[in-house]
Amino acid sequence: MSLLEIRDLKTYYRADGGWVRATDGVSLSIDRGETVGLVGESGSGKTTLAKSIIRLFPDNAEIHGGSIDYDGTEITDLSDKELRRRIRWQEISMIPQNAMNGFDPVYTVGQQIVQVIRHHEEGVSKADARDRARDLFDELGIEPDRIDDYPHQFSGGMAQRAMIALALALGPSLVLADEPTTALDVVIQDRILETIKEKQAEIDSAMIMITHDMSVVSETCDRIAVVYGGRIVEIADARTIITNPRHPYTLGLRNAFPDISDDDQELISIPGTPPDLVDPGEGCRFAPRCPFAEEDCWEITPEPQEYEPGHFVECHRADEIDYLQSAAGEKSTWQDATTGDRDAVVDGGIVDTSGADATETEGGSADE
Amino acid sequence: MSTDTDTTPQGAVTGLEKRIEQLRDGLGVFKGDRLGQIGIALVLVFVFVGVFARPITIEFLNVTIPGLAPHDPNARAVGGRLEPPSLAHPLGTTQLGRDVLSQLIAGTRVTLLVGSLAAFMAVFIGTNVGLISAYYGGWVDDVLMRITDIVYAVPFLPFAIVLVAIVGSSIVNIIGAIVLILWRSTARVIRSQVLSHKQRPYVESAEAIGASDVRIMYKHILPNVLPLAFLYAAFAVGYAVIAEASLSFLGFGDPNMLSWGEMIFTVYTADAIRQAWWWVFPPGIAITLFVMSVFFIGRTLEKVINPELRHQE
Amino acid sequence: MGLREFVVRRLVQLVFTFWAFFTLLFVLFRLVPGDPTSMFLLDGMTPEQREQRIAELGLDQPLHVQYVNYIEQLLTGDFGQSFIYREPVIDIIVVRFMNTIVLMGTALFFAYLIGVTFGALMGWWRGSRFERGGIIVTLVARSSPEFWVGIVLLSVFVFWLGWFPSSGMRTTGGELGGGFIQRYGSIDFLRHLFLPALTGAIVYLATPTLLMRSTMLDVLKADFVEIKKAEGLPEMTVLYKHAARNSVLPLVTVMAIATGAAMGGSVVIETVFNWPGMGREMVRAVNTNDYPIAMAAFFLMGSVVILMNFVADLAYVYLDPRVEYE
Repeated sequence: MSLLEIRDLKTYYRADGGWVRATDGVSLSIDRGETVGLVGESGSGKTTLAKSIIRLFPDNAEIHGGSIDYDGTEITDLSDKELRRRIRWQEISMIPQNAMNGFDPVYTVGQQIVQVIRHHEEGVSKADARDRARDLFDELGIEPDRIDDYPHQFSGGMAQRAMIALALALGPSLVLADEPTTALDVVIQDRILETIKEKQAEIDSAMIMITHDMSVVSETCDRIAVVYGGRIVEIADARTIITNPRHPYTLGLRNAFPDISDDDQELISIPGTPPDLVDPGEGCRFAPRCPFAEEDCWEITPEPQEYEPGHFVECHRADEIDYLQSAAGEKSTWQDATTGDRDAVVDGGIVDTSGADATETEGGSADE
Repeated sequence: MSTDTDTTPQGAVTGLEKRIEQLRDGLGVFKGDRLGQIGIALVLVFVFVGVFARPITIEFLNVTIPGLAPHDPNARAVGGRLEPPSLAHPLGTTQLGRDVLSQLIAGTRVTLLVGSLAAFMAVFIGTNVGLISAYYGGWVDDVLMRITDIVYAVPFLPFAIVLVAIVGSSIVNIIGAIVLILWRSTARVIRSQVLSHKQRPYVESAEAIGASDVRIMYKHILPNVLPLAFLYAAFAVGYAVIAEASLSFLGFGDPNMLSWGEMIFTVYTADAIRQAWWWVFPPGIAITLFVMSVFFIGRTLEKVINPELRHQE
Repeated sequence: MGLREFVVRRLVQLVFTFWAFFTLLFVLFRLVPGDPTSMFLLDGMTPEQREQRIAELGLDQPLHVQYVNYIEQLLTGDFGQSFIYREPVIDIIVVRFMNTIVLMGTALFFAYLIGVTFGALMGWWRGSRFERGGIIVTLVARSSPEFWVGIVLLSVFVFWLGWFPSSGMRTTGGELGGGFIQRYGSIDFLRHLFLPALTGAIVYLATPTLLMRSTMLDVLKADFVEIKKAEGLPEMTVLYKHAARNSVLPLVTVMAIATGAAMGGSVVIETVFNWPGMGREMVRAVNTNDYPIAMAAFFLMGSVVILMNFVADLAYVYLDPRVEYE
């Protein structure tokens, strides 16, 4: 049985014009020890999806439907108190984007680690909790004495390591990592990712890695879910998403990070902006920006289809995989797709197979 | 972009349009703000009452507009002593038989006078000090800011009491005492605002085309910090009115100008506070209402200046 | 710049501010328009008495000599003799000063305690009816002069309900002397203290409440608040131990200003409730031309404000580990 089972989850925000459907019918399951990447642009709903798992959202948001089964516990049914005591941090912890802001600036990092240990584990003395904090620092490659430093005394990379120490302090079974490396420079990014992976393997916890960066997920995740407009539009194992994606949006995202698909691929961005989630209406939510959108795409909401075992895609044209993959590699394809104009139907002329078999560039080569 | 530095008429027009745009924006905020509307409405009522409190004679038209006050506020024995409210005297009478309602209406004038004059002068001085201090920097800044620090060390009311006691209890001296202290906060806040504007491109380009210091300060920078000055003016009105009322209550008011604070002082000295609630409460409520309405306006102005606040509610 | 250097620089500034304040006092009390000596003289003095008094006070000396003497006297706590009490000013004023500190200290303590607590809640529950109501209540309180709040409380709790004594610091007949606890700890004293302290608390509540609310709104945007919630800490721990703890810093700086306001307010509140403190003494002194007392009271009030400014600066550095010493 999987560790986490999300079914048809709907998390909505109250706004002036009605409900913003930040997460609109998402299903996702995660196994123990597994790492799943949530990839999408900002505003796609990937962060809301992840935070919904511990119901961490502002007062104006609520879970409108669906279920979240965490290891036999229905999260949506828990009282706030139970959620805080049993689930948050104890079971599911979190690594924020910018660790420097993730720590309360007026307490030392050590005090904050000690606080969370002693809050969740009764009878742990302050001295013992401190020792554990020191050990964690040591394991993560930080001088143990630095637990008495204030957050602002750390460098960005060190702060992120300290944050990982905090996140792992209680040995959680699931870690939500929200763009854990985007605030750091590239060289440090890789080292931090490595550290995260190492520690995660050590304590055998599952992880959800939220990012807009395809290269990050390709290196770290077992599976990747591509999020667009509050839905998972494509999900498969990491290799399939990188080498053999079927959804035009995934293809577009891949173009935006050329180093992961093809060496001589140029960087192509997807024109247009994320959809209005207040009233998305019928049809595929990506249609207004999709260079391959047809009549059906505008009118019929696509259902997820399984193309290979575990590879689900929400796209009417997902079976035209060869054409999509080759055309998506051309810059002109995306430029021609004028946003929001449903009459701009793509002519199927350009077929070039060179982009079809992209080779994976596993592991990157960033030296320390 | 830098239309502010443009000295051609066209630039001026754009500047004007920008101002009008700002003004419209400001009024828009008032539209959505209940407290701000209440504030404006109340202040308008007070201004109306203050202006028409006593009969106004327009000489060349030979017309006299009758005053709102039913009686001469200083005339004794228009009623009995310490009469509770009645039809003849809706707010009762004082221990000398004066009409409380008439006194209340007449007192509005003093409040408006002190509030507006003191606030205007305090903000005028404060804005100039802040502007000059920040613009010139160096020793000018040092000297002006040390002076501001020292003024911050002076307790407001005790200072006003001593000053008024020494130079005499006239309305002019009272306003002077208030102004001497009240400018300090405006000076500090305008200074920090100007410091940030000094770095902006429009000031640099004005310097580049050789505009004089005075011109840069008053033509280019001042309009940008003026909204903040207005905000501080609104609060200054409130503080000035409270200060005047407190001074009068302590017996240091202008004996020739009947103010709300002085009314309460009289109740106190007449030892009538236990029985004559009709004489105590109206002036007290009037002070609170007036100050409250300028604070409400100030709060709304704050949102005009700092749009981020608009989403805070 | 190191902490030590910062403290030294602030100390130099402190001395300078004190000197400037002394000078201001001197100017205020000696160089005002009209006869500078008249305020040190009483009506009905014979010319000989006048001469003697002037010589006594050193008012026949050149101004700069007077100035030096004056500074010397202030530094040694010699404020001269009260014209009315015929006693050294320092003896009279010290007792009054203590009474004022007890009254205004209590008022400020509660104003800040309540202000911080409610301001934090108003920020936490932003957009709620609680917040909107709270803003209006605080604005109304802030719009009321001290004497007016005092009169309303007097009317309700004394004249109408009769729960509290109307004036003074203790019931007449109560012995003065005794230790601090006897003086300021008795039930009788606390009953007298309640209304004037409440008056001050109400009036000074607005600034910390509104400031606390607005800084809370800023702090609540910070990532760490979300992390602390994610850590499963109870809501009130996140609210008070983290969010409010971070929001409280700017309050430290306004505390100095609040003390200044309280010093001024003591003048009014003590008059309303007949509290035998420095503020009432000052009003009485000014009204009876007892200028040595008035000056000493003014001097002490200003000194408290200056010292509080200094303390606030240092406290800020102590409370915020991030602060750079400029």
